[in-house]
Amino acid sequence: MATTTAPSRAAHRPAQHGRPRGARRMPKLKTTLIAALAYLIGFVFLFPYLVMVLIALRPQKELRTAQWFPDTWDFSAIAGFWSGGLADNLLVSLQVAVGSTLLVLVVALPAAYYTARHDFKGRSLFLVLVLITQMFQPTAMVVGIYREFFQFGLVDSVWSLILVNGGFNLAFAVWILNAYFSSIPRELEEAAFIDGNGRFGALFRITLPLAMPGVITALIFTFISAWNEFVVALTLSTSPENQPLPVALHSYMGQYSVDWQGLFAGSVIATIPVIILFALIERKVVGGLTAGSIK
Amino acid sequence: MKKLEPLAWVGPAVLLIAAVVIWPVIEMVRSSFLQISRFGVVREVNFPANYDKLFAEKDFADIMVRSVVWVVAIVLLTVVISLALAQLFNQRFPGRKVARWALIAPWAASVLMTAIVFKWMLDPEVGVINLIRRDLGTFVQKVFGIEPSSLGLLSTMGGDAADQLGQAGTAMPWLIFVGVFVSVPFTTYALLAGLATIPADVYEAARMDGASKMRTYWSITLPLLRPALTVAALINMMNVFNSFPIIWAMTRGQPGYDTATSTIFMYVLKNANLGESAAMSVVNFGMVIVLTVIFLRVSRWNREVA
Amino acid sequence: MNIKLAGGAALGLAAMLVLSSCGGGSGGTGTETGGGEKSASGPVTLKMVAADYGDGPGAPNAGEGFWKGVVDDFQKANPNIKVEVQVINWNDIDKQVATMVQNGQAPDILQTGDYSGFVKDGLLHKVEEILSPNVQQDMLTKFADFGKVDGAAYGLPFVSSARALFYNKELFEKAGIAEPPTTWDELKAAAEKLKKAGVSQPYGLPLGQEEAQGESFLWMLGNGGGYKDASGKWAINSPQNTETFTYVKGLVDAGLTTPNPGTKDRKTVWEDFAAGKVGMATGGPMSIPIFDKGTVKDKYAVAAIPGKSGPLDTTLGVMDWIMAFNQNKHPEEIKKFFDFFYTGPAAEKIVDLYKLLPVTNTGIQKLSGDEKLKPFLDALPNASFYPFQDPKWSELNTQIKQTMGGVVKDPAKTLGELQKAAETG
Repeated sequence: MATTTAPSRAAHRPAQHGRPRGARRMPKLKTTLIAALAYLIGFVFLFPYLVMVLIALRPQKELRTAQWFPDTWDFSAIAGFWSGGLADNLLVSLQVAVGSTLLVLVVALPAAYYTARHDFKGRSLFLVLVLITQMFQPTAMVVGIYREFFQFGLVDSVWSLILVNGGFNLAFAVWILNAYFSSIPRELEEAAFIDGNGRFGALFRITLPLAMPGVITALIFTFISAWNEFVVALTLSTSPENQPLPVALHSYMGQYSVDWQGLFAGSVIATIPVIILFALIERKVVGGLTAGSIK
Repeated sequence: MKKLEPLAWVGPAVLLIAAVVIWPVIEMVRSSFLQISRFGVVREVNFPANYDKLFAEKDFADIMVRSVVWVVAIVLLTVVISLALAQLFNQRFPGRKVARWALIAPWAASVLMTAIVFKWMLDPEVGVINLIRRDLGTFVQKVFGIEPSSLGLLSTMGGDAADQLGQAGTAMPWLIFVGVFVSVPFTTYALLAGLATIPADVYEAARMDGASKMRTYWSITLPLLRPALTVAALINMMNVFNSFPIIWAMTRGQPGYDTATSTIFMYVLKNANLGESAAMSVVNFGMVIVLTVIFLRVSRWNREVA
Repeated sequence: MNIKLAGGAALGLAAMLVLSSCGGGSGGTGTETGGGEKSASGPVTLKMVAADYGDGPGAPNAGEGFWKGVVDDFQKANPNIKVEVQVINWNDIDKQVATMVQNGQAPDILQTGDYSGFVKDGLLHKVEEILSPNVQQDMLTKFADFGKVDGAAYGLPFVSSARALFYNKELFEKAGIAEPPTTWDELKAAAEKLKKAGVSQPYGLPLGQEEAQGESFLWMLGNGGGYKDASGKWAINSPQNTETFTYVKGLVDAGLTTPNPGTKDRKTVWEDFAAGKVGMATGGPMSIPIFDKGTVKDKYAVAAIPGKSGPLDTTLGVMDWIMAFNQNKHPEEIKKFFDFFYTGPAAEKIVDLYKLLPVTNTGIQKLSGDEKLKPFLDALPNASFYPFQDPKWSELNTQIKQTMGGVVKDPAKTLGELQKAAETG
C-alpha cells in the first residue's frame, strides 16, 4: 500500500484508478464526488443490516408499527443472545468456518500448485472434476450427504460440517489458486531454486507470497460460505449445542410466531466476526495485490 | 515413484471431492430412479416414472424458463454493476477502506437472513421500503399535487399497492434485485483484485498513444479483466442457479408456483415425493451443465484459464 | 437392512449397553434386530423426538424445558427407563424426522403433526401395544378414530386445537358494528364498514403456504363442503366449494381482505391482528398469548365462525400426534411412558402452558372452568378434521399449501386442479 500513498513516479504506481492522466492533481471536487458516491453505495449495501439492528432494538409492541425508529429502545434481544446460549453456537460456527478453511488450504494448495506447474496424466481430468464439483451445491444433495455421514457415524459432529464445507469449497480454491500459480512465471521460482533455496524453499519464499491474493481470496470465500452455510448444517447437526449459529437462529421461527428481535439481533451479531476478519485481512490483500502486479 | 508423485499432491483433493461431493451425487441420481415413500423407505425401482411425472407437472415448463431467466438476469446485472463498482472503489478517496467494508456486508451476512430482512422491508404494513414510498408519495402530493400512485408511490400503508411480493409481476424483480444485491460484493471484490493485477505501464503506454479514457477501458482494462470476470461470472452462475434461500424466504415460489425456480420446486416436491424431487435435482444439474458449457463457449474460457 | 440396523445400534448410544448385556442374554422380543440391549434388568433408553410448541430455545416456554420436567418425573418413577428427548422446531421437524427414518434411525417416540405417512411402511406400533386400555377409553372418540388406518389405530392424539373468529372490539366500535358477524353476508357488511373506517385488512385471510389448508377448510365448512364428501370421496371441486370460493374471491376483489392472500402466512396475519391492523381473523387458543403480547390486548373477543347462512356448528379440529416406532422393539417401556404422560400432570401442563386443548374426556372436564377456553372446548366434540388418515393427504397437502391461494383468482380452475391431483395422487 505504501507505493500508492507515497508520491512516486507514475510509471511505478500500480494502476489503482485506471486513468493515469492527472492522477496526482486530481481535482478536489471530483474526489469529493467519488467519495460521496462510494459512501452512498456503501450505505445502500449496509442498509438492510441497519434495518435489522433497528428491528432488533424494537420492543415487541412496536414491531408492527409503521415507523423508522422505535419509541423506546429495547436491548433485551441483544442481551438475550448471550443469556440464551447462542454464544456456544457462535463457537461452533467459528470451529466449522476455521476448520473448513484450513482443510481447504491444506488440500487445495498442493493440488493447485502441482497442476499449474506439471503436466501429468489425468491433469485435465482433474480440472474437469473440479469444475463439475463447482456446479454442485450442497443444497441439492442434503439427503445423500446425510446418508453418507450417518454410515460413518459422523452425524451431529463438527467434523462432518468441516468436511462438507471443505469439500464443496475446494473446487473454487483449487481453481483460483491454479490460476494464480499459472500466472507466476516459472523462471522466478527456478531462479530462487538455483540460488540454493531448494524446491520447497523456492515455493515458500517466492511462489506462495506471490500467490497470496489468490490464497486470501480462497480463504475468505471458504470462510464466509462455511460461516453462513445453512441447509447441510440444519440436517447434519441435530442437538442444539452442536448447531452452528444460522441453524440455531432458525429455531427462533416458531410455529405460531417469530421472535423477530432475537432473530435479527443474532444475525447482526453473527455477521460482525466476518466483517472483522475481512477488515483484518483486507490490508494484506491489498499488499498482496500490489505484489501480484509484478510482471 | 515418479508416477506416483501427482497422487501425493493431487490425491487428497480428489479424495475429498469424491467423498463429499461425488458420493451424494450418485445417491441423488439413484434416488431419481426409485419410488420412495415420504419418509425415505424405498418401495420399488420405477424408472422413468419420476421423470414422467415431473415433466407432466403443469408448471414444469414455466419453472424451467423462469430458472434460466433468473440466472441470466442476475449474472448479467451483477457483472455490469460490479464492473462499475470496481472502477469506483478502485479510485483513491479518503475513507475508501471503510466504504469497501460496507460493500462487503451482504457477502458477510447469511443470504437467508438478508432475504428475510428484505421481506421485512417490503412488508405492506410496516416495511421501510414502503415507508419511503409513502413518505415520498405524501411529499409529491403536497408539493406538486401529483397523485402518488401515478409515480408508483403510495398514499397509505397496507393494501394491494404496498404488497410488492404478493404478485409475481412485482415480486420477481425484487427477488432478482436481492439476488444481485448478494452477488455484487463477491464479484466486485474479484474484479478489484483483477484490476490491481493490471500493470500500470500498460496504461502509461495507452496514454502515450493518446487513447481516450473510454477506449482505454474497452481495449485494455476489460480484456485484461477477462480472467477475473470469467471466474466471477461462472461462480455466480452456479451459485445463483442453486441458490434457494432468497426465493424460499421471500415468497416460497408463491403465488402458486409463479415465482418458483427449479431449486424451489425441488424443495417443495421434497415434502411430497422424494423420487420426483431427486429427478428434479438431476434435471437441474443437467441445466447447470448446459448453461455452463454455453457460457464457456461464449467467454472462450479455455483460452484464458486452465 | 439387518446390516444397517446393526450398524445403527453399534454407532448409537447403545453400543456399550450391547456389550455389557451380551452375557445376560435374557432375550426378549428384540434379539435379532440389534435391540440386544433390551434385558430384563438393564436400563432401556427411549429416544424421543418432539415438536417445539414454545418460542424457541432459550424462551421461558421452550419445549426442552417442558420435556425435561416430564422426563425427570418419569425417570424418578421408572429408574430403569431413560428417555432422551430431542426437541425440534416445527419448520424442521418433518425434514429431520424424514432424514432419520430414511437412515433407519427413527426415534422410539415421535410427537409431531402427522402419523399417517409412516403407517404404510409398517414403521409404527399399534396403539393397543403402547397404551393401557383405560387410557385408550378416555380418549375423545372422534379424535381417536382419526388415528386409525384401515381399522387399526397407530396414531395417538396428543393435543388438539380448534378455531374460532377473533375480532377487534375497538375497530368494530370505531366502524359502528354492534355484533360479530354470524353469516358471510354479515361478515362482508362488517368488512365494508371496517374498510371505510380505514382498516387496511378488514378480514385477515392467510391463504399462503403456511395455513392455506386450514383457512380454506373453514370456508368450505361454512357451506357444507369439505375436502371429501360424506362417502369419503375427494370433493375438492364440489359445487359448494366452488360457490364458497367465488364468494371469497368477491371479498378479495373488493379489497376487504389481506391483499394477495395466496402469499400470506398465518403468522403475519396474527402479527397484524395483534398490532390492531386486522379487523377479524380466525385463530385458536394458541393465538391468545400472541394477541396479548400486542397492542390489541383486552380489546378483542372470540365468536363462532360465520357460515353461509349461520354460524358454524362445527369447526376445524386440529390435533397433533404422538406415535411409537417399532424398529427398536420397546413397546413395554413406551407404554409406561405414554400412560405416565396421559394420566399424570404432564398432559394438563402442556395444555396450560401452550394454550392447547386436551384430547381426553378427563382433560376437558378439568378445564371446563376456564372462561377463555370455553368457546373452544364447546366446539371440540363437533370438530371436523383434515382427511389425515388418507395416505394421499400428505402429498396433497403440500400442493394445497402451495396453490390453494389461486382460488381467489380462478376458483373453478384451482379447485379442479387440486381435485385432479387428489384423484391421481
